[in-house]
Amino acid sequence: MSLRETVFAEIAAIAAEQEKAMPPITDELVMLDTEFDSLCFALLVARMEDLTGADPFSEMDASDLPVTVGDLVALYDRAATRQAA
Amino acid sequence: MSDDLKEDLKTGRLVVVTGASRGLGLATAATLAADGFRVVALARRPSEALEAAQEAAAPGRITFMAADLGEIDALQPLAQKIRAEHGPVYGLVNNAALGTPGLLTTMPASKIAELVRLNTLAPMVLTKYLARGMMTAGAGRIVNVSSIIAFTGYNALSVYAATKASMIGFTKSLAREVGRLGVTVNAVAPGFIETAMTGEMDEVERGRVANRSALKRLAEPQDVADAVAYLMSDRARNVTGTVLTIDAGSTA
Repeated sequence: MSLRETVFAEIAAIAAEQEKAMPPITDELVMLDTEFDSLCFALLVARMEDLTGADPFSEMDASDLPVTVGDLVALYDRAATRQAA
Repeated sequence: MSDDLKEDLKTGRLVVVTGASRGLGLATAATLAADGFRVVALARRPSEALEAAQEAAAPGRITFMAADLGEIDALQPLAQKIRAEHGPVYGLVNNAALGTPGLLTTMPASKIAELVRLNTLAPMVLTKYLARGMMTAGAGRIVNVSSIIAFTGYNALSVYAATKASMIGFTKSLAREVGRLGVTVNAVAPGFIETAMTGEMDEVERGRVANRSALKRLAEPQDVADAVAYLMSDRARNVTGTVLTIDAGSTA
């Protein structure tokens, strides 16, 4: 499963568990416009750390916060590249 | 659920206790191990008392892991190491703390920073990383060791008091944050307890504190350990965001 697929799958799984209605997940989806709240987001960060060992949010400024799902995928992509380096 | 299955589930539960080589942390580690939890005992270095507790407990129940919690950047790797070596963490007891006394006006800023780093910053950051696993598991327990000094004044403990009060604010709001995911967050507030931390109090001062308490005595490390064990247990499943005072009635 690619990093993008993993992020999409985890968002869908967490939204289902937390009983949040989500529109179709796409790169362009603005996360703040959905019911995916801060707690869901915290869960996503925790699960992604479990799955990939990466936690891009530990070392970034608030100004880098992802707006869309695509931004989020890019963040994890960069973290994975850093890990590999 | 059968009793055997219950016991198995409990056997699998892992609790991390910071500052576990002596005092309240040691008593807490030993009590949790006796209650059937597996304990990772964090401290800068092991102690004879901790080794004795490890021998007294069932094999493998208490594992020592060296850690200097004041090294904030090392806390995320520490959390990852605990998970990798011991599995998912069910509970965390933030006990490690400095009790450095001193008048504020003469305390070096470096000492103030050291107290805040170990007593406030370190437990917050360690909790950040260990709570993640509890959140994804949908169950967990966090117990923060505060102090009655968080809500009563004591000469020459203003910085310590501020750090202990911070643990109460942290407890209440974090309980709100993670409650929906089945994680409880509580604090214990011990009064003056006979440990190395209060070793600098002389006999007269100890007598005075004991005399002021409702029960005319000081609480003991075991009393605090029992309170933590209760908060860690299934019996406390509906207790969160609260502070349990164990002071033999000093603040009654």
